[in-house]
Amino acid sequence: MSVVLAVGYASLAAAVLAAVVSPRAAVYVTAAACGLVGAVGIASAAGYTHASFSIASWLGFGQTMLVSDGLAGIFLAATGVVGAAVSLALAQRSPTRLVGALHALILLAICAVIGSDQAFVFLLAWETITLSLYLLGSADRDRPDALVAGYFAGGVSKLGGGALLAAFGLLYAKTGSFEFAVWAHQAPNLGSVRDAAFFLFVVGFGSKLGLIPFQGPLPPLYAAAPGPSAATISLTFFAAFYGLWRLVFAILGAPPLWWGELLVAVGGVTALVGILYAVTEEEIKRFLGFSSVEHAGIATIGFGVALVGEAAHLPRLAAAGLLAATLQVLMHGAAKALALVAADRVQTATGQAEMRPLGGLGPRLPLTATGFGLAVVSLAALPPFGGFVSEWLMFMALLQAFRVNDTIAELVLALGGAALALTAGVALLAFAKLYGGIFLGHARERLGRRHMPTRLAPGFVALALIALVLGPIAPWEIRWLGHGLGGLLGSDVIAQAVTSPLVLGPVYHGFSVMSPTWLAAGLTTFALAAFVLVRALARPAVRRAPVWVSGTAVPVATVQYRPEAYSNPIRVVLSGLYRFKRTVEVREENGKEIRVARTRVVPVFEDYFYRPIAAGSVLIAGRLRRLQSGSLGMYLLYILAVLLAALALIPALGH
Amino acid sequence: MLKWLFRGLRHGVVTTRYPARPEPAPPGFRGRIAVLGPGDAPQSLGDLCPTGAIQVEGGRVSVDRGLCVLCGACVANAPERFGFEAEYETAVRRRSSLVVGERLATALEGLRPTLGDRSRTLRRSIHIRHVDAGSDGAEEWEIQALTNPYYDMQRLGLFFTPTPRHADLLLVTGGVTNSMREPLLRAYEVMPEPKAVVAVGTDACSGGFSATTGEVVGGVDQVLPVDVYVPGSPPAPIAILHGLLLAAGVVTEEAAA
Amino acid sequence: MSAEETAREDPLLQALEGTAAVEEAPPRGPVRQLRIPMDELATSTRRLIDVGGHFAGVFRSESEDSLRALLALRGELIVLRTPLDGARSYPSLSRVTPAARLPERELHDVSGVVPLDHPQLDPALRPSADELERVVTGPETFVLPYGPIRSGVFEAIQFPIDTGGEDILAFTVRPYFKRRNLEARFQGLDFDHGTYLAERIAGTESVAQAIAFAQAVERVAGIEAPRLAQRWRVVHAELERIANHLDVGIKLAEDAALSVGVARLGVLKEQVMRLRARLCGNRFGRGVLMPGGVRREPLLSSAEVIQAIDSFEDDLRRDRSLLLATASFTDRLIGSGRLDAETVMRYGGVGPIARACSLGIDARLERPYGSYGRLGFRIARTTGGDAMARFEVRLEEIDQSVHVIRQALERLDGDMAALRIAITDASGEGCGWAEAPNGEVIYWIAIEDGRLREVHIVSPSLRNWPLLSESYRGDVLTDVSFIEHSFGLTPAGADR
Repeated sequence: MSVVLAVGYASLAAAVLAAVVSPRAAVYVTAAACGLVGAVGIASAAGYTHASFSIASWLGFGQTMLVSDGLAGIFLAATGVVGAAVSLALAQRSPTRLVGALHALILLAICAVIGSDQAFVFLLAWETITLSLYLLGSADRDRPDALVAGYFAGGVSKLGGGALLAAFGLLYAKTGSFEFAVWAHQAPNLGSVRDAAFFLFVVGFGSKLGLIPFQGPLPPLYAAAPGPSAATISLTFFAAFYGLWRLVFAILGAPPLWWGELLVAVGGVTALVGILYAVTEEEIKRFLGFSSVEHAGIATIGFGVALVGEAAHLPRLAAAGLLAATLQVLMHGAAKALALVAADRVQTATGQAEMRPLGGLGPRLPLTATGFGLAVVSLAALPPFGGFVSEWLMFMALLQAFRVNDTIAELVLALGGAALALTAGVALLAFAKLYGGIFLGHARERLGRRHMPTRLAPGFVALALIALVLGPIAPWEIRWLGHGLGGLLGSDVIAQAVTSPLVLGPVYHGFSVMSPTWLAAGLTTFALAAFVLVRALARPAVRRAPVWVSGTAVPVATVQYRPEAYSNPIRVVLSGLYRFKRTVEVREENGKEIRVARTRVVPVFEDYFYRPIAAGSVLIAGRLRRLQSGSLGMYLLYILAVLLAALALIPALGH
Repeated sequence: MLKWLFRGLRHGVVTTRYPARPEPAPPGFRGRIAVLGPGDAPQSLGDLCPTGAIQVEGGRVSVDRGLCVLCGACVANAPERFGFEAEYETAVRRRSSLVVGERLATALEGLRPTLGDRSRTLRRSIHIRHVDAGSDGAEEWEIQALTNPYYDMQRLGLFFTPTPRHADLLLVTGGVTNSMREPLLRAYEVMPEPKAVVAVGTDACSGGFSATTGEVVGGVDQVLPVDVYVPGSPPAPIAILHGLLLAAGVVTEEAAA
Repeated sequence: MSAEETAREDPLLQALEGTAAVEEAPPRGPVRQLRIPMDELATSTRRLIDVGGHFAGVFRSESEDSLRALLALRGELIVLRTPLDGARSYPSLSRVTPAARLPERELHDVSGVVPLDHPQLDPALRPSADELERVVTGPETFVLPYGPIRSGVFEAIQFPIDTGGEDILAFTVRPYFKRRNLEARFQGLDFDHGTYLAERIAGTESVAQAIAFAQAVERVAGIEAPRLAQRWRVVHAELERIANHLDVGIKLAEDAALSVGVARLGVLKEQVMRLRARLCGNRFGRGVLMPGGVRREPLLSSAEVIQAIDSFEDDLRRDRSLLLATASFTDRLIGSGRLDAETVMRYGGVGPIARACSLGIDARLERPYGSYGRLGFRIARTTGGDAMARFEVRLEEIDQSVHVIRQALERLDGDMAALRIAITDASGEGCGWAEAPNGEVIYWIAIEDGRLREVHIVSPSLRNWPLLSESYRGDVLTDVSFIEHSFGLTPAGADR
């Protein structure tokens, strides 16, 4: 298996180079490589094998290996399987050389992050991801906002990378080694460095996940990425979550209560902010970006519960939280990739990035509509699909708060549950708006026939099938996860979540049960039975009548709900949060009075957080630029000053 | 909320038992006009009626209840020939049944099957969509009264529905104005089979006063096939209930008095 | 006093000083008719409005080819007559008062005479349900056609709502879907048949319309109905007012999903309707009155009526206090659909809607008719102008109506006084009015040879419709039914 793993990685590296010659072939190679890596991941998470191979020991940082153990196997499996399908979908779209290369590079970097066993390779791969995000975001020069998206994403990711570097530096200084195993061994003796490292880890990984306050760059990045490569970008979530799981849970370990409480709070706020901005978003890919922020928040809530469980010495609670969070990451990853590929298909077919001019595309794009529908029901957590399973487990984990004997922890968990419930409700509305606005109803504008996406879409179909079955096969997934996460929890506690062969419960017995498999079987059976019964018993005659519009014959497209109308009630009610104001301005035109409605929405985070920081940074940079006076004499003076300082400091430090 | 509960319970049951038990109209109630007295009527008798419901031919008098607005001008001026009947059950299934007196209709048009005949389940549960095609507003009050505790039409399985797509029965009030003609047709078109139409009020049966103004097409039967006519200006709630049950096939029509 | 001094004392002539207005014929009671040349019609109207006149309506009189504009000024009804002499246009009054917009559009559609400078002279009378104009455009807005067939047992009218989804940007009222042109039907009818027709213009205000018509005929004939008849007219009119206000309460409670409230108010309204049926054989009070008096003896004695009223009042008091204490009901009404007195005055609003903005407009007290001058009652008024204020005004009016009915019945003479006076000789033009549950309804009639030549009706619902558009400030879609039902207008009355 280690050979297979090595071949996979090598193929990914080769694909990066091959993209210069033939991007399409390179993407196919990427797909195959991802498949290999995914297979190894599945096998190692299930406990059948422990694959590893060493690379570049000559880099001078000691033994460096790329490992696929239980935990890494889970994430490698996810990246591999979803990455393969995304690659197939990307290959259909004739990617450019840059996109093909970056696609392979991102996947290679993600796999390297997940597989590395020491900090240097981890950081190297991590920063490769950052660089790729910047390049990919600004790749499509036809978009006016591409450069901004790229800079924004790259900048915030760099900030996170800087935090990671600081954390690694601290840990290196304390333990003298870059290896994760050494850090895990020395973790109990780290003292206050553990808390600092935890905080820096959250900042570092949160910057890629979009946790508050780093959620800004994600939506524009999704929108700016060319074609289906937004789906590739969404795979970076696997790397970030793996980092949290590995570095915070496994390596730092033995958390105090406040770690979990902080993550639950941050996750809850992130989820709420994500979905509240998603519901008012009109551009499809930006919408999906905010939805990613929301799901990142939800998974963080689960992870926080796991940390609380660890801190309170309740291994079952930790297991419940970790299971819910991991499942959430997997389900979301698959569904979001599917959604982004589908969104790209819609964009290709219509040339529109926004929901507003669309409508009634269901009959015209049946395959896309079905796939998008599967993604939407999973993201909106509707039974019996994957998103529902993970969210149900998340609620069950949060409901165990009463088992923790600490008031603040209970309170925070309860509030997290409330935030999650509110998020779930708004998410239903938001996805109803998304799906209804694009595929249902009557077409709002006449869209010319653009390039219709091909029916032969193996990647898209594969993603759709994955999204379809991920829910009903949950019992088997959970058993598989139990093996993989057993390393973190000490034993296979998670397997207790599967009570009967097909029934799930939270890890605690007798609390609550649910079976997505039975649900799926039941729903299908009943639907089929209803269909058959109606056909058999009802009269065969079908008469079509026009849509009822209060007795008028006004064209339905004029009076049907716009996508904005779904979000209008929330905007009106929460007008403080959105700074939403609608005015009607009255003009005189050709002697008649014309009234036009103007909407003003203030993007709160942009205006009150990012812009001041950006402005401040530019100001400081401007000041610092004076150092670069261009005069040779000044530069020589700088060198002299630094030399003198070094000469003074080093003996002082030596003492 | 508890106070509302007690308030509701305090007065006991006031609901009528109609149609299980007959519900008599109060004395003096103007239910419909009956033609009394012998023939040999002068031609000028027709001028008594403001809507032209009284027709005299060869000394024989007839009253078209579909045009009669129950004003009482004929009773006041010729009490030996015309009288009011305090009767609630005035609905009929044929337009010609509304013409009473000595002049009978020449041909009897065919009867349409009731909703109950077309589908057994519709005898017990009917969803009704009301459309106002140009009434004077009184019929709407009487139809709304059907949901108050005195009549409680829901105990008979009759419900109002907001959309014609779920409706079995179209309840139309008012003579059809020019602007409401198309919406009425659309409402009928959008209803699934089997469906029935009940015309409530004299305006709906024939146009009443507005039949000759040029803005009204006429009674509902000028636009849609009508199953039951409920004359009256306006018909009392029990009369409307009688009409609905007639359309459902729950009650049968008495012989026209 | 000399004629000039009289003129100076008279506020009407004072306001019209300097114009070519000429009073035609001596005032007949509180009705005054002036002839105004066409070029001064607009300025005269403006002057009268400036001194506190309340614009009622404008129509074209066919038989004389002249325009009539009606205004109410300080207890008098002013009719401004402008001869057209074949002219096909005239300076529009809509620039002077927005209350003239709808009547002038109707005038234009019926007669073809063009009001010049009218802001929106689109055809009004045969609205097509197939077209919908957006009042407010914009990328995020669309229009909801609420009507003409709405979800519930309601009369037909269309309200195109420009909205972004929940917030309302513009609320338009599109009446005339139920246009039956019954005013033309009056032509050639005798007074009897005319009364029957007047009762069927707007079913929910049958008695008020009949009273206004009968008073118009009586004014032309120069007679007054006997006191007994007037008292019974008052009883029927007030019973009708109570039924209308209870109906508004039912609709509001239904909107607020207060089922027991709906049932209780439904029971009360049914009691009132059954009382009316027992009293005269018709649940709507039709066939009771005629020009000259009432037609027959009532079928109940006044003692029986008082007994029914007493038990009704008892029941109502308890239900009313429960209703006003239910927060889920009152919360929906408070603050919704707020109107201010200035807007109401500008649009010529009448009835409980005006009285809820603390305007004391009530025909029973401004130009008392029938027994109202001799009975004691208060105008129900309150401030606020929102849906809650309108509902409170109606509740108080029910109390006042009960009080009036008691007074009218308690002072009936023992001996059989006359029920009606025969009308022998009537010819000419005249006005009659009555305070319908929604406001003042005015009948302008022209009689020739004992038959009606022409009838024009100024409907309170038509006068109040524009206020519905003006009342949506900051309200959202869920408030629409509350505000509309708190107005309680009848499209049949407005469309005629």
